[in-house]
Parts: sequence; C-alpha cells; structure tokens
Amino acid sequence: MLWDKKCIRCYETHQIRAAEYTMVNEILPLNSDEIINKLRSILIESKRTVHDEDLLKKVDTLCLSLENELKKRDFGNREVFKGTETGRKSEKFWDHNMRDRRKNDNIMDVIEAGLCLLDKDLKIIWANKTLSDWLDLKESPVGFSCKDIFHCNESNIENCEALKVFKGGEGRVLQTWITSKRGKRICVQRIAIPITSRNGDIENVLVHLEDVTISENSLHWLLLLQQLGEKMQGTLHLEKLLQLILTCVTTGHAFGFNRAMLFLVNKEEKVLQGKLAVGPSTPEEANRIWNEISSRYGTLEEILDAIDYGHNFDNTLSSLTKEMKFSLTDTSEIVVACASEKNSIIVFDAANDPRLTEYFRNALGVNEFVCVPLIVKNESLGVIVADNIYTRAPITEDLVNVLSMFANQAALAIENAETYKKLKNKVKQLTKTQELLVRSEKFAAIGSMASYIAHEIRNPLVTIGGFTRSLSRFHFEDPKIKTNLDIILAEVMRLEKILNNITNYSKPSPPEKVASQICEIVKNTCSLMENYFKERNINFCLEHIRDLPPIMAVSSQITQVLFNILMNAVEAMPHGGDLTIKIALVEESLKIDIVDTGTGMTKEELQNIFDPFYTTKTDGTGVGLAICRKIIEEHRGKICVKSEYGKGTTMSLLLPIH
Amino acid sequence: MFNILLVEDDNNQRLLYEQELRIEGYKIMTAIDGRDALEKFQEQVPDLVILDINMPRMDGIEAIGRILSKNKQIPIIINTAYSSYKNSFMSWAADAYIVKSSDLSELKNKIRELLINRPKDT
Repeated sequence: MLWDKKCIRCYETHQIRAAEYTMVNEILPLNSDEIINKLRSILIESKRTVHDEDLLKKVDTLCLSLENELKKRDFGNREVFKGTETGRKSEKFWDHNMRDRRKNDNIMDVIEAGLCLLDKDLKIIWANKTLSDWLDLKESPVGFSCKDIFHCNESNIENCEALKVFKGGEGRVLQTWITSKRGKRICVQRIAIPITSRNGDIENVLVHLEDVTISENSLHWLLLLQQLGEKMQGTLHLEKLLQLILTCVTTGHAFGFNRAMLFLVNKEEKVLQGKLAVGPSTPEEANRIWNEISSRYGTLEEILDAIDYGHNFDNTLSSLTKEMKFSLTDTSEIVVACASEKNSIIVFDAANDPRLTEYFRNALGVNEFVCVPLIVKNESLGVIVADNIYTRAPITEDLVNVLSMFANQAALAIENAETYKKLKNKVKQLTKTQELLVRSEKFAAIGSMASYIAHEIRNPLVTIGGFTRSLSRFHFEDPKIKTNLDIILAEVMRLEKILNNITNYSKPSPPEKVASQICEIVKNTCSLMENYFKERNINFCLEHIRDLPPIMAVSSQITQVLFNILMNAVEAMPHGGDLTIKIALVEESLKIDIVDTGTGMTKEELQNIFDPFYTTKTDGTGVGLAICRKIIEEHRGKICVKSEYGKGTTMSLLLPIH
Repeated sequence: MFNILLVEDDNNQRLLYEQELRIEGYKIMTAIDGRDALEKFQEQVPDLVILDINMPRMDGIEAIGRILSKNKQIPIIINTAYSSYKNSFMSWAADAYIVKSSDLSELKNKIRELLINRPKDT
C-alpha cells in the first residue's frame, strides 16, 4: 500500500496501521497468489485426468483472467503480509488474524478520530464508530454518499476535498462546528488522504475527522485577545480605557460576564480604589440591554466602536464601586488579597467563603464571582471583579485563565494611559510655567522701562525742586514770586509722588520671614549640590537631631547663605575631602556647623573674610560672606568661623528660635 | 568743619547739592564719576562720601569697593534715583541708602547722623 507521504506526516503511526489492517481485511480476505496457485494446481492435476482440450483451455483462460483481475485488485500490500507469510500456513494464523482484526476494529471505533473510506463515486465504503457518534448518525453511513453524511453544499461541489484528492490535489482542510451524539459542540477538521494502488492510481480516499475544538478555542481566544489588545493599546485616555476594558469583560462577544467592576491601586494614598463598574442593575434591565445589543451590533468591533464614552455610568453598581476604597494592607478584603497575591481568585460559594468580608459579600450580592489582578512588570495595578449574577452561568477555570491574560494586557494599557496622562499633565504644567514666565518677563520689561523712565525724570525733577526750595528761602518783594515758587514746588512734589508709585510697583516687595524647618532648607540646598559634590570627590554628610523646632526665616536667603558657605568649603578642598553639616540645638538657638577638611585659612584671612569686597580668590567678587553675615544678622543670628591652616574650616551659624 | 566728597554726574544736581550742603556748613569736594572720585579721595581723605550709583566711566558700586579697600572707616551714603538697589547686597556695604528727592532734608539728616561721632577736621 502506498501512502501519500504528506498525509503520513499528519498521522500518528498506530492510526495508520490500524486503518491499513482494516481495509485489507475488509476488501481482500484471501491472498491473491494463494488463490491462483490453488487454481493452477487444480488445473495441472486435471490435465492428467481430463482430455477435453477445449475445457482445459477455457479453464486456463479463466485462470489467467482471474489472475489479472486479482492483480488489478491487489493493493500492493505485500509489506503488510511479508511478516506473516510463514505464519499463515498454520491454523493458528487465522485465529490470530481474526483476533487482530477485532482488535483493530475496536481500536478504530474508540479512536478519537472520525474515519471513513470513500470509493471513486464518493460513496462511503467503511466508517468507524467515532464518525457516527460525532455526526450523530442513526444508522451506519456505509453505502451513503459522503455529501449526504457531511451535509455538503451541492453547488460547492468543486470544493469537495475528497474530489480534489481523487483528481490528484491535496487533502483539503475544512473546519466545521458539529453537535455530537452526546450534545457536545465540537469543532472538526476534515483531511482527505489519497490511498493509491501499486501503479500509483488513487483507488480510495480516507477522510479523517479530527477534533480541533481545543486548538480552535485557543485560536479563538488568541485572536480575541489580540483584537482586544490592539483596541486597548490604541486608547490612551484612562477613563475611556477603563470603560473599554469592562465592556470587553461583559460583552457576549468576548468574555460575556454579566457584571464587572474595576479597582485601581492608588500608590499615594496606599489604597485600592473602586473606579468603575459595568453591568445592568436588575434582571429586566439585563434582558433589555442584551436584546438591544444583539439586535443592533453584529460584531465585537461594532460594539467596542459604539461605546458611548461620554455616557455617565451612574448605575447602582458603579456608584457602589466608586465608594469602595480599601487600604492596601487590609488583605482580609478579597480584592486586596487578589492584588497582593497577584493571583486570580474564583469564589464559588460566597455565602460560606471565609475569604470574604461581610461588607463585600453584601455589596456584590452574588454567590459566584472571580477576582483577577491587573499585573504589569510584576506589580498589581488593580483588580477586575466579574460575575454572572443574572444568567448564573458557571465560571470555568479556562475562562478565568483567558481573563487573566486579558487582564495583563489591560494592565499594560492602563500603565501606558497613566504614563501618557502624567506626561500630558507635565506638558500642561510646563506650558503654564512657560506662560507665567513669559508674562513675568513682560512685567519685568515694563518694570525696568518704568524704572528707567522714573530715574531719568527724577534726576531733573530733583534739580528743579531742589533749586525751587533754595529760592523760596529768599525774601521777595513781590508776593506773587513766592506764590509761583510754591506752585512749582507743589507740582514737582506731585510728580515725585507719581514716580514713587511707579518705582514701588516695579520694585519687588521685601521677602517675609515665615516659620521654616532649617533641616528641610539644608537638605534641599544640599540635594541641589549633590552632583557638584560627587564631581569634586566630596563625601557629604548631614547630622542633625530629630524634631528640630522651626525658626522664622526667609528660606531663599538662608539657602543663599548655605550655598555660599558650601561653595567656599568645596573650593577649599580641590582634591576632595569630607564635608559635614551638623545641626544642633544650643540654648535658644539652632547651631549649624559646616565643617570641611580643606586648606583652612591664615589669621589675616580670618580677620577679613566678612568684609565686603575682600577676596582671596582670583575670580571672586568678595561679597559672598559679607552677604551671608548681612542675612544672618537680619535673622538676628550670628555667623562665626574657626579655621586651622592646612586642616580645615568650620563655619558656624547661630539662628535664634524665637 | 567736615569734609564731604560728593560724587554726582549730573551737573545741575551737583550744583544743587553743593549749594545746599555748603549752607549746612560742610566743606564740599565734588567728583563727576567713580574714577574722578578715587582721584579726589587720594588727594584728600574726606569725612563722608555721597555717591550716585548710575554714572559713566566708573559706577557707584565699583567705586564703593575701591573706596572701602582703601579706607573702611569712611561712611558712605548712596544717593540715587533708583530705589531698586535698596534691597540688593551692594547697598549693604554702604552706611545709608537714600532715594533722591527734591526735598533734601532726608539726606541732610543722614549726614548729620553719620558725622555726629566723628572728630571734626581742623
């Protein structure tokens, strides 16, 4: 028997053998050589006893034609019989053969594949039991045309896979859903396999029906997940995305849950917050909505496209969900447990399940539901809760597995959307800051212009007014002169008043002292300089006692003081060193010591460092420490310095608490 | 009699201050900008300096630095049309900051206040 190599690949070995034996036994009960040999020996024997030449010739011709006929019918199945050739001679063989045959028949019947053999007229000449079971046949299909059994469309006859194979084509694969005898919906794939004779003619076609329900289902979910994934990735608006996710969970075209709730982790507040829920509130509403949807939308795509994002989900479930807020440490709440364990939880009997709190049990009001975590980068972003409160359809593990996969995709999409939202907020903030900057620059420009004009006018005005005052001190005969001088003076003063108003407007108001945590100011200043320290190989260290009292200070000014002192300290350590800030409470003041291990200062330098315009640096202005002292004095504090040449310097700031 | 160095680039204003302060009984030296002021300072060290800020060649800020590096004891009054420098560190080096006004009484009061403890030049 010559098998199509391509088909052999699709088959498991035992299946092929089983089919082989069956066919051989059905069609050819005896070996052709055996029959001919027997006939020949009879003929030879009769030659001696029978003298009728014509009769002998006739028998001889008959023998030849029979031989030919048998040769034609020979399937070339020598391979199969080779091994049994010797055993055949014994009686045992027949028993053995019969047993084999029954065994093979049994195998054929229980095998999880529908098999049938077609002849050239596409009539079924053999079929196994599985085929009858699967196709729910009342009687044996043998003798029927295959198209009647498989309910093929007459007009589509050119697509018939068996016909194609007979014409030398390839065994076509067709997938159809059928309902078996046990009422199970299964998806089958039909493969037609050519069975050729020794001379290469296709004598028969074996139709093999394979149960591909599992792979078909997997494929269905895969495609669905892909479709939903694409849809979700394309949605960057967080609120829309959440709605889309819940619609996917609840629509009959996808997961088909009755209701679904979504919780998201709020990292700042450390809570799991109910965000949104989708699902009808009553069975009547459920019926109405489902009828509406099935009559209006055909495909999932249509449903997802038709989601009314503007629609306010103000149903009972949604408002209930939005009220739910659980602390992330409260793992007695099943949703929190689901998020922290990062595993799906199916609850089959809510009423008696100890994992549920009374509150959640009552809120949901359903006995069977599932919690699925939204995981991205091994972190839970939230939880989806879904149930079938109205249809009471059981929640299978398979469905939950797929739902988990979907949840992970959803989590990724949510993360994307959140990142996008953050970015958008940042851009918004930046734009706003930029606008403010532009505006303040405009004001600054107006201010500096006003200030310039005020200055330019004030100078001649001072001269006019000043001389007028000088003049008015003289005595004049004519009182009119005195009156007129007073008029000039009054007008000058009026102008000066206007100028004062303008300059006051353009002048920033002096900074106000507010209660400030000195520790925070120090930390902020140092964090600004962190990189600078690193670059210069400075080991920075901050030591302070806890709960330091606040002091009244202008933080920007204190920052400037710290900045100046720290810069000096770093510059005193050109090859790196240790820089320590110690904050301590000394009587009624905060004492801030800035200690460096730098070059230190000479006595002469120490005496002058607070004087304005005194500097030892080549590029310094010499005002830095003068400003520092001025600022500290304005805060009613003290600044002092200790230094040892070659060892280092300690700058100490004393700031009163009250 | 106290010796005051008046640094002012505006001719008419310089004339006004000179006249007014002479009436108050001070001896007045004048300079038209920072550089001129330093030269005058070298000729004779005054008891007090009145300094405008915006001036050509050398402005008041630079002049303060130069003067202080020569003598830290001399009181300096900044007398300017700008009030915006008042809160800036530059004015902290000076002993007083006065915004120019046609009414010179503030300036006169400040001069008196700063010279009260200085021994009179003979």
